[in-house]
Amino acid sequence: MVKMLLSAVLSLALLVGAAIWETAYLNAEFGEVRAALGTLEAKTRDESALPDDARALQRLWEEKKKKLHAVIPHGDIAYIDYWLGEAEGCIQARLYEDALAKIEVLLVICRQLPQTYALTFENIF
Amino acid sequence: MGLIALRTALIFLALFIVMRLMGKRQIGEMQPFELVITLLISELACIPMADTSIPLLYGVFSVLTIFLLHQLMLLLDLKVRPLKRAIGGKPSLVINKNGIDITELERNHLDVSDLIGSMRAAGYFSLDEVDYALYEANGQFTAMPREGAETEKKGSIPVLILDDGKYEKHNLTLTHTSEAFFDEVLQKQGIKKRKRVFVLTVDGTGKVYLQTRGEKFRTFRVALPEGCTW
Repeated sequence: MVKMLLSAVLSLALLVGAAIWETAYLNAEFGEVRAALGTLEAKTRDESALPDDARALQRLWEEKKKKLHAVIPHGDIAYIDYWLGEAEGCIQARLYEDALAKIEVLLVICRQLPQTYALTFENIF
Repeated sequence: MGLIALRTALIFLALFIVMRLMGKRQIGEMQPFELVITLLISELACIPMADTSIPLLYGVFSVLTIFLLHQLMLLLDLKVRPLKRAIGGKPSLVINKNGIDITELERNHLDVSDLIGSMRAAGYFSLDEVDYALYEANGQFTAMPREGAETEKKGSIPVLILDDGKYEKHNLTLTHTSEAFFDEVLQKQGIKKRKRVFVLTVDGTGKVYLQTRGEKFRTFRVALPEGCTW
């Protein structure tokens, strides 16, 4: 009986702990990416963004996604990869207006993605 | 992970309720919640294993949730008396000294042929060979034989002739009898409406087991027509 209770309590603690950690981790990681995207957005708006700025964001994302793969479906990561690649290409070609549109999309994705894993009514059902 | 755990728990709960509602026919030899776990766990483990776009942790946490629910169900089953029935169900006494308990049989979504099948599997070929028979909470069939039933003459296997007021055509052909023959038997027993008959079986020696709705069963012998052997 003690063993059964202990295993139930342990697994419950593990699940609750993992749920809290996941929410905090995703918010922190995507928060960082959002901040970097915000900086790039400001530079793009000023038309002062350089390909190196886009590459720096790409490197940051590459670093983050290594760990994110363990937590979110890989399809969601590929989605960000796609839009980031597009934005980077536009900045290299100095198509700032196009780049701005793609950065906006990325900002929306990075804001919405952590929310899709939150314990909310619409996510549960 | 929290979302996965909660969704898994909800699916578990839904499957569990459905399994409990389905009755013993669907359960086999498991507790309802054990069957639910069996149904879920292989899929939960397989999907993240085969689909590389889903993090493996999803599978791990769903399985962990199932484990937690299993432990909780066991705890409730063992420690909370009022919940024991709700979780594991209760045995159903389907045959007593008055014959078949039709209400109890129907509550478990079973019919006479299912009951006869269970009895045969347990080694009893005639419905009057047992004083009591029940389906345990896990769906297993248990019977208490009637005293002296073993020594009775057994000619051939009893066959179901009337099942809930309807003739079993195949069995009439098998026994070389006819509806008219049994209609006459029923009339002699004072039964005017065939629909009232819940079960009527006959064996090769002419022994009839008859039970009408709301009445105690009766057994009697009839002279079978010439050439009625099986």
